[in-house]
Amino acid sequence: LWIKGHHFAPDDTVTGSFASFISAARPEHLSQTVRQRSKRMILDSLGVGLVGSTTRVFDIALRYCRLYSSVAVSSVYGKPGVKLSPTLAAFTNGVATHSMDFDDTWHPATHPSGAVLPALLAASQMLPPSAKPTGLDFLLAFNVGLEVQGRLMHFSTEAHDIPKRFHPPSVVGTLGGAAAAAKLLSLSPAQCCHALGIAASLAGAPMANAATQAKPLHVGNATRLGLEAALLAARGMEASPLILDDIPGCSGFGAFYGVYQPKPLPAPGQHHQFLLEKQDIAFKRFPAHLGMHWVVDAALSVRNLFINQAGSFSPALIRSILLKIPVSKYINRPFPSSEHQARHSFQFNACAALLDGEVGLGSFSESSIQRQELRELLDKVVVEHPEDNMANFDKMYGEVALLLHTGDVLTGKCDTFYGHWRKPLSKESLLKKFRSNASHVLPEEKIEAIITLVENLENLSDSSQLACSL
Amino acid sequence: MGKTSVWGTVTENFAKVIHGLNANQLTDQVIQRSKRMILDTLGVGLLGTTTEVCHKVAQYSKIYSSDLSSTIWGHLDFRLPPLYAAFVNGVAVHSMDFDDTWHPATHPSGAVLPTLIALSEAFPQKKKISGLDLLLAFNVGIEVQGRLLHFSKEARNIPKRFHPPAVVGTMGSAAACAKLLALDQLECKNALAIAASYAGAPLANAATQIKPLHVGNAAKHGLEAACLALQGLQGNKQILDVESGMGAFYTDYNPQVLPTLESYPWLLDQQDVAIKRFPAHLATHWVADAASSVRRKLVENSENLLPLDKIEKVILKVPEVKYVNRPSPASEHEARHSFQFVACSALLDGSMSVQSFTSENIHRPALRELLCKTHLEHPHDNTPSFDSLYCQVTVTLQDGNTISDRCTTFYGHWRKPLKKEDLEKKFQSNALGILPTEAVEGIIETVYNLEKVEDCSVLSTFLSGQSARALPQKRFFL
Repeated sequence: LWIKGHHFAPDDTVTGSFASFISAARPEHLSQTVRQRSKRMILDSLGVGLVGSTTRVFDIALRYCRLYSSVAVSSVYGKPGVKLSPTLAAFTNGVATHSMDFDDTWHPATHPSGAVLPALLAASQMLPPSAKPTGLDFLLAFNVGLEVQGRLMHFSTEAHDIPKRFHPPSVVGTLGGAAAAAKLLSLSPAQCCHALGIAASLAGAPMANAATQAKPLHVGNATRLGLEAALLAARGMEASPLILDDIPGCSGFGAFYGVYQPKPLPAPGQHHQFLLEKQDIAFKRFPAHLGMHWVVDAALSVRNLFINQAGSFSPALIRSILLKIPVSKYINRPFPSSEHQARHSFQFNACAALLDGEVGLGSFSESSIQRQELRELLDKVVVEHPEDNMANFDKMYGEVALLLHTGDVLTGKCDTFYGHWRKPLSKESLLKKFRSNASHVLPEEKIEAIITLVENLENLSDSSQLACSL
Repeated sequence: MGKTSVWGTVTENFAKVIHGLNANQLTDQVIQRSKRMILDTLGVGLLGTTTEVCHKVAQYSKIYSSDLSSTIWGHLDFRLPPLYAAFVNGVAVHSMDFDDTWHPATHPSGAVLPTLIALSEAFPQKKKISGLDLLLAFNVGIEVQGRLLHFSKEARNIPKRFHPPAVVGTMGSAAACAKLLALDQLECKNALAIAASYAGAPLANAATQIKPLHVGNAAKHGLEAACLALQGLQGNKQILDVESGMGAFYTDYNPQVLPTLESYPWLLDQQDVAIKRFPAHLATHWVADAASSVRRKLVENSENLLPLDKIEKVILKVPEVKYVNRPSPASEHEARHSFQFVACSALLDGSMSVQSFTSENIHRPALRELLCKTHLEHPHDNTPSFDSLYCQVTVTLQDGNTISDRCTTFYGHWRKPLKKEDLEKKFQSNALGILPTEAVEGIIETVYNLEKVEDCSVLSTFLSGQSARALPQKRFFL
């Protein structure tokens, strides 16, 4: 053991406060609400990852990773016979989680669970039998990973709006993954600090790859590189101890934002409240960008009005469809040509909802995207950006108006879709989503076993059972 | 949106050029310059394998060893899959900040060479990669980096936000691998798109142990991007065109299409690299030359000691570069990024070397004493650009006399390139102690004749330290 250049002084820097928090947080600090909410997230994330293991992008990622799998100890979603090295298992499972854009979304905007859960699952299988983390350790580490992401996003007002430059999971997600892994691996405060610093040098992917097949890699890499950062820190790698602080002229984590105002974290305990306590997560009901959910609910409501009036949904009676949506270039696509684009298209989701009366997994298949009736309906869409419709998941709304040839106008509006944090999915709905997702790749007994494991996570003595059950 | 033209988007154009460039287009100057870069990079990397940061990443990477295996420079005892070999060797290259620097600023070779060498070893047995294949792919990787750096005015100055090797280096590595793997145009485009999602690391990690990983990761992730593209993964086909693509890393971003392939004007032809003479940030090289010159004026005989007591203060006129302004560095990483440290070291010893950065030398009392007397000034006309900066060292003695010298172009800068003998000396000095003499001389010979080398795996064999006797006689030439 040797002492290196930097003298670790945790107290006066933002970075140090984060490191202290990560290493000092204990299960007792998790409130009931936080436990319950995070277990819901874990279940949903697993289900979404399992169904995601049926996608093409997952297939590519897995084939690639298998080239390197010597110390293969970590499980891969939906592939019982396959094991990979920990960081590559995390990568593959992270890709699965975001492959269909079906994973959870928080406010400020990011996809928090996919950046954290796969790393923890992989790491739990890496640790020797004598040092297996308990279910409670696991739950704690998960929440540390979430908390770090949330806190980081509060350092910039930009983060409150739908992103334009860097894709948030690749920015805060990487550090969240690092923090969670550091917690699970019981790193010292100094090591936690370095894990964050190392992770920062692995963070950041541009928005342009959203709505392409490469987007899922953002979450895959966040969780993988976050784990890698923690593993490197565990081996003594050192980074800047001021990585989260504001350093004019030489950017740290602030490099990813235009305006960056970091604040220290309170120490866990009385003065600290996990962000998840005050701000719940949104779960998606169908695999598309969160913004689509408002527009779909609005479309379904106006569709009902239309059917009540006309007896059935007859596109021929519609002259034009007016969508009132916030300004966000990467989800405004009049004629999407791939599943990835379709998941990021207000127009597509509105029309699919109008035509079919629902939007689900099947809505994004090639044949569904290319159907004639849908393309015809897309032709009738006109988009407006009312000034009061902010590009912000806490404040936006979706409005769909049908202008009929008769001159009648029917309108549907949605402020809060079912699944949003203001109107959370019920336990039944969440379980239904999980069962439906998992059934694509797992038999019923395994599905129920996972549900039970997550439900009773705090009581598990060996949390690697969860990873093994996949 | 970038400038589209009859050639389509900038991204498409890049893919077309990466795919379409062939060895015939390499000019003599480009060949000569890039071979110098290759030799220097290998030497710097070999020396770098002795560093602590390199030991750590090697230990870490061993977790992932599997059948596919590539050489770890200087090591006969273990091999790694190409991804991790690229990573470890890339870290080695940048571990001491001893590798080449270009204008606009980045460290171009470290992100590309380790990857290509590692990748060349991963091809199936029947497929031989020639020295010319390697040289071409290398230059494609360098060229792409240079072109990207020209898309933003910010890039002309020493960086403040993102560390350039992590941004353009990743893209260059992807392009170089795409070339070596002979990806088709669409795959080249996707390789670039995927690589963009791995690019970027904040500058704050410069002057820490993690900085070398910026180059290691650039090398590794560029390779990964190319491999994923080969598997059919697709990204944004306008990744270089849009603000939300590569533009995310810059505040002003103006992408342009590349020139046509006919008599292609390589950037390396117009703009050479700087090769460092000692392992520290490039800006300190001006300071070292000025300080050495001041010392010669102060001390008659190079064996005499610097009259420390007589020195009142030392003023350094340097450009404003926050991350190289360290009055009292505590680690080797900080010392390599300190105008003040290099000035004082050069004043004390007469010249800088690898040894200047040992722990004993960093902490010696005489140096600490001189550091206390050292101050920086930032004249307005001293712009933070490697093309135009200067350093002036002024020592004021207690009797009021001042001795001063200014350096505008240090020896090793592109305006005053290292002579062949000195480049070789640097390589030999770096490589001896890691590799046997035959391997050292073997690498020099192989690189000098790279275009004629039939199978560049001979380079890897030397790099692993294998005895030359293990190789057949007629090993190099076509």
